[in-house]
Amino acid sequence: MTDNRFTFDGQSVTAKRGQSLAAALTDAGHRTFRTTAKSAERGIFCGMGVCQDCLVSIDGQPNQRACMSLASDGMTVTRQVPFPAFSGTAAKAGAPLTLAPDVLVIGGGAGGLSAGIAAARAGADVVLLDERKVSGGQYYKQAADGVVLDGQQRDGADLVAAAKSAGITILSGVELWGAFDDLLFMAQQGDRAIIARPKTAIVATGAYERPVMVPGWTLPGVMTTGAAQTLWRSYQSLAGKRLAICGSGPLNLQVAVELARGGATIVRLAERAAHPVTRPLQAARMAVSGPALAMKGLKMEWALRRLGGTVRYGSDLIGVAQCGNALAATFQSSDGTRDTIEVDVVCMNAGFEPQNEILRLLGVSMHYDPAMGHLRCHTDDAMQTNIRGLYAVGDCKGLGGAPAACDEGVIAGTHAAAAAGFGDAYDLHSVRRRLTGHRRFQSRLWPLYDIAPRQAADMPSDTIICRCEELTLDDIRTGLDDKPGHAGTLKRATRVGMGRCQGRYCGPVAARMVAETTGKPIENLSFFAPRVPIKPVAISSIFAAEEAVREKT
Amino acid sequence: MKKPEVIVIGGGVTGTVAALTLAEAGASVMLIDEGVNAGSGANAGSLHVQMQSRFMRLYPDQVPNVEAALPFYRMAAEEWVRLDKDLGGIELVRKGGLMLAETEEQLAFLSKKAEREAAQGLSVEILNREALDRIAPWLGLQIIGAELCRDEGKLNPLIANRLLGARAAAVGVRRLAGRVTALRPTPQGIELETAHETLTADKVVVAAAWGAGALVHGFGVSLPTKAEPLHMNITEPGAPVINHLVQHAERSITLKQFSTGQIVIGGGWPATTAGWSAPPTVISGSMLQNVALAAHLAPAISNLRVIRTWAGMNTTIDGASVIGPLPASDRIVMAVPGDAGYTLGPLVGRIAAQLAMGDMGEIDVGRFSPARFAT
Ligand SMILES: Cc1cc2nc3c(=O)[nH]c(=O)nc-3n(C[C@H](O)[C@H](O)[C@H](O)COP(=O)(O)OP(=O)(O)OC[C@H]3O[C@@H](n4cnc5c(N)ncnc54)[C@H](O)[C@@H]3O)c2cc1C
Ligand SMILES: Cc1cc2nc3c(=O)[nH]c(=O)nc-3n(C[C@H](O)[C@H](O)[C@H](O)COP(=O)(O)OP(=O)(O)OC[C@H]3O[C@@H](n4cnc5c(N)ncnc54)[C@H](O)[C@@H]3O)c2cc1C
Ligand code: FES
Repeated sequence: MTDNRFTFDGQSVTAKRGQSLAAALTDAGHRTFRTTAKSAERGIFCGMGVCQDCLVSIDGQPNQRACMSLASDGMTVTRQVPFPAFSGTAAKAGAPLTLAPDVLVIGGGAGGLSAGIAAARAGADVVLLDERKVSGGQYYKQAADGVVLDGQQRDGADLVAAAKSAGITILSGVELWGAFDDLLFMAQQGDRAIIARPKTAIVATGAYERPVMVPGWTLPGVMTTGAAQTLWRSYQSLAGKRLAICGSGPLNLQVAVELARGGATIVRLAERAAHPVTRPLQAARMAVSGPALAMKGLKMEWALRRLGGTVRYGSDLIGVAQCGNALAATFQSSDGTRDTIEVDVVCMNAGFEPQNEILRLLGVSMHYDPAMGHLRCHTDDAMQTNIRGLYAVGDCKGLGGAPAACDEGVIAGTHAAAAAGFGDAYDLHSVRRRLTGHRRFQSRLWPLYDIAPRQAADMPSDTIICRCEELTLDDIRTGLDDKPGHAGTLKRATRVGMGRCQGRYCGPVAARMVAETTGKPIENLSFFAPRVPIKPVAISSIFAAEEAVREKT
Repeated sequence: MKKPEVIVIGGGVTGTVAALTLAEAGASVMLIDEGVNAGSGANAGSLHVQMQSRFMRLYPDQVPNVEAALPFYRMAAEEWVRLDKDLGGIELVRKGGLMLAETEEQLAFLSKKAEREAAQGLSVEILNREALDRIAPWLGLQIIGAELCRDEGKLNPLIANRLLGARAAAVGVRRLAGRVTALRPTPQGIELETAHETLTADKVVVAAAWGAGALVHGFGVSLPTKAEPLHMNITEPGAPVINHLVQHAERSITLKQFSTGQIVIGGGWPATTAGWSAPPTVISGSMLQNVALAAHLAPAISNLRVIRTWAGMNTTIDGASVIGPLPASDRIVMAVPGDAGYTLGPLVGRIAAQLAMGDMGEIDVGRFSPARFAT
């Protein structure tokens, strides 16, 4: 296998084959990828194409996400400046692709792959669009070079192989940006525009991570736990040598162990929730409904301690500051004591937010789940939403975990194929029973953690809430003076949520702030109004899509 | 003497300026706004002065109204310049507007249009490609010339709305959220019906845009106000290079760059209404064609990404504004701007407020009287 060489701001960088730019730059010790309008530095944050903070300029093209771009030989990469020059070249894009499959699956993770396999086995023509370059999604995260680290990756590899042998057309590196009435979808794959008018569609877009918003959470080197996991599992890059991991939930512990095994020192794993021992009843209920998973959790904690990691319960990150080349992370424990440790990288995960943009855009009905702090989408027994022909599975409906996503996928795939005229939705009894079990386990797992979103009142007023527009809690509060009736009004008054990521992180906070001032309960309509594009889309790609649509009509 | 009680219906730019003008003139002012679908909250902040080709094409019968009102547009732009100073900066830039031609026919159309506009006192000029290269080198190579109207410009409506709202509050305007469902004359004044209560006022200013026609139905006028859902797009930031407000001689587009570096693309592409109280919905065709046209005219912007689209509610009447008291009751004063209503809004709001206070003002607005819709 040959390595690739490229330059970053003039310095030569070597990339392993298949590595993302973000991973190659991390290996080379670079972590500032762009500067903002307010001269702040930014680097990898989400690691999955959501935050838009890892932007670089590649061969003169600005606004490219390093985490989603492949490092290739001879590239000229530069840090992105706040106001990049226009390229001055005319729009050029590859020939557009139009698709009309029986079943369109959006998302190539546990839920999407399972759905696609079920539908294809029933005889339907299935196209699966996946944003990542390599299928598998967040749970089954596959290595770019095909190396299999453990059982989880092996299961994922099997699922991807099954999808291929079932005859699914998998299109990778495809970003869906538009969803319109009557199941019309628009996407881009590099320069190429894709237009899909399927008979049925299954949305399986998963979730992204809820951060721990504290002063300093936008510094390069502070990233989501999933971002560090992707660097490691997909590209064998360690985000840093000395790490702190914080927030709440089982992913933090799992990634801590993975990174420790990979050679990192977990200086601290800070879990917000109290130790399960202090809540034996809840812990026992969880263990009864999922003994194997409960055992796995215990073993992981022992493993982490054996590898020299420190675990603290009832401990929360309250701030990060730059300290030379290192980051000074300050924690507070439940008794109020604080301490500061020096690390290279701070990872955070305090729960998940469903990627439900497509569903909200198309008018799928939702309700707010206060325990998880996010919206849940309504589906019937067939996983069909209130929009005919539109199905939803997995975490995009509200968090449910990978095993549940797989089973929901099987149900949705079978029914979507049947609706398109292939097979009848055969007896899914055992799948449904298994799904009930997974859901019971989930409902008993999360009470052990502390993922309820933080109240704005509990955050320091200089905490940045809107990463893109660089707005602090105080900046946003000024917009509350006029008693906005809706998050959209607060947005227009303060610009909160107006940036490239379109309110992925600040949106839930803004919705809660408005709900607090109006006294109205949070519901679907409390959040920013969903609009196309779901993700920023290049004007050249819209130009190409327009040509394709015009030629058709 | 007791302060007159005035209620302003509609809290967009027109109603807000009317309310603060009234309060500054000594009235006791309440502003009632339903808080949905204000054109002012969705508009693009273009200061339009020259006749818009889109409008001339869509509503040819209304062109004479617009043409006769051209000096009013210029005054409206001046009103914004005053407000910019007064409010402490709304990112107003007045470098002029370019209307582009790709063919000789289009250029000839613009030349004729420019003559008519010059006759109404506008500062206009036809530029050839060479002249364009000096001020707008990023234009597509197929552009052969343009009409430059120096009276035009752009501002940031998000900032303007916020500052105007704050100014209104500071001079004592009280705000009430709600929908007025009916107006009734009484011997003492006007009664206003809302969902929760009945209010009374000495005078009422109706600045309710698309909602105005229904409110004054039965007062001897039939006001054809219509809601028109329109589409907008905005990009991520780029280097500041586009100074002008850009339009086309034949096709629907407005394109300009905000001080944030973002490019705003609009120009009257349709959206669909999603029911009365919800904002309109974006349709795919408008987004594709509007943005593709922008890329065609200014290819240099193609490497930027569109980050958001939205849709908002414009109001159409007969091209001209409706300003002044109703024939059936001089206690009800209309304040509904004509085409390019954000440009006109502050001037329309101020004049209506003055009329409500019995001040005839310095501008004759007889031609905009609601009497033209008398039944
Ligand atoms: C000058 C200007 C510049 C702008 N610049 C930007 C920019 O840089 N970036 C940017 O992102 N935006 C920008 N905007 C647009 C801005 O996003 C919108 O104008 C507005 O703030 C929010 O969106 P909206 O109009 O789509 O919805 P709003 O007018 O806020 O309406 C929200 C409504 O949608 C409803 N709603 C919520 N969820 C749903 C749902 N699931 N289904 C149906 N309805 C729902 C709510 O109940 C509410 O009634 C700009 C606007 C203007 C005027
Ligand atoms: C997408 C878009 C882009 C535009 N771009 C431009 C531009 O660049 N330049 C320009 O000059 N113009 C533009 N316009 C037009 C401009 O926005 C409007 O004409 C202008 O904002 C009208 O202002 P207004 O205050 O009169 O009414 P609006 O801002 O529409 O406000 C009317 C208010 O009255 C309320 N209301 C209605 N009925 C009732 C009732 N019965 N009781 C209580 N309240 C009621 C409504 O809820 C609303 O809040 C654009 C319009 C749109 C939709
Ligand atoms: S790190 Fe690349 S988009 Fe978030």
